[in-house]
Amino acid sequence: MSKKVLVVDDDPDVRLFSVTVLEENGYLPLEAANGEEGLKMVKAEKPDLIILDVLMPRQSGIRLYREMKTDKALKDIPIIILSGIAKKTFLRSQKAMTEFGGKPVPEPEVYLEKPVEPEELAETIKKVMG
Amino acid sequence: MKIKKLMFVTKFEQLGFDALKSLLALRKAGLDHVVFVNVIERERFAMSRVGYRKDEEIRLRETANIRFIDWAESLFEMGMEAGVYIVVGTLVPEVLKAAEKEAADLIVIGRSHKGVLDQLYSGSDITELLRRSATPVLVYKHMSENILALDKPFSRPLLATDWSPACQKAVDYLITLEGIIEEIHLIHVITEKELADSPSHTSHTIQKARKQTRQKLEEICDIFEQQGITARAHIYVGNAEDEIEKAAREHQASMIVMGSSAKAYWLERWIGSTPREIAEKSAFPCLLIPPEKNAAR
Repeated sequence: MSKKVLVVDDDPDVRLFSVTVLEENGYLPLEAANGEEGLKMVKAEKPDLIILDVLMPRQSGIRLYREMKTDKALKDIPIIILSGIAKKTFLRSQKAMTEFGGKPVPEPEVYLEKPVEPEELAETIKKVMG
Repeated sequence: MKIKKLMFVTKFEQLGFDALKSLLALRKAGLDHVVFVNVIERERFAMSRVGYRKDEEIRLRETANIRFIDWAESLFEMGMEAGVYIVVGTLVPEVLKAAEKEAADLIVIGRSHKGVLDQLYSGSDITELLRRSATPVLVYKHMSENILALDKPFSRPLLATDWSPACQKAVDYLITLEGIIEEIHLIHVITEKELADSPSHTSHTIQKARKQTRQKLEEICDIFEQQGITARAHIYVGNAEDEIEKAAREHQASMIVMGSSAKAYWLERWIGSTPREIAEKSAFPCLLIPPEKNAAR
């Protein structure tokens, strides 16, 4: 059975790009347009991997990432961040949130800055999925 | 009624990141999420002779996206949340749609001070937004040089009350800003009409009206004082729009706060609306608090 990969991004073009890469590489893609929708799908579908954007309406990827990594049932799902936001900013924001009373969270498995080439994304997914 | 999520509507030329930074004092009162909104008007690239210019739409979207990424990075690094809407459409409906989706607590929008035509255009947008929004709207402005507290818009608000339910709601809204408001000035304008309508024009009746108004204002001051916010009451007489502007200058207000009108649209067009007039013409930032949805319109 194909492994499920959830793509959380508000940009439909980016979702289409990621979904195409996933399908071509034999994965079963799932889609969500923001962090809130993404969290619901994570709980309902239990994907094997998440490709997550950061800057989104409703709930950002930063918040979703934090919620997942502090949830016992979800923290082991690997996450590839795919975003226009710099990795340094992502890490600083997590640190700031921890300072504001949140729990510390680990760094994401992989951080890719947009845009990426299809081969790079496919290769990264394969590597993360083992 | 805390301001946790703020929606920052910008076309970039009126409101920049410096304007947003001046609002970040609201973090002390619970602000932790900013949503950026940029509405690209379709007429900017849908031209009758050349047709729909998709390339121009992409260019405008990406330009806005680059600005917002930069702004969002600053907010993320402060431990805040940020979101973005870059949409093609008509300003007011798109802003209202986004505000509803996000359940925003405050909409911040700029007003251009450029040309007469531009003012006319953006003025009508603001009028429509104030009329239709169920969310408080802060009309943020370029400040003239003689107005103080440019970097702390919530530090010295002037609340102009006409005792309407929307004004009461404004009190509830402002009271959550303890620690941010340094001093609040409450004013009520007794209009010439009110004086003319009183049964007699003796000095006694006018003084009596002043005393009653003063007492009502002091009661509101007490509510603020109980929350640790210094509050001062003032009474003005004359044309409401002129007197509110005058009071804001005299007391070095950092913004004017009013309840927005609950009048029906046609009635507002016919007899005018003080909040709308002030929001469009005042040199001060204006925070308009809408009445409850079930209030008469």
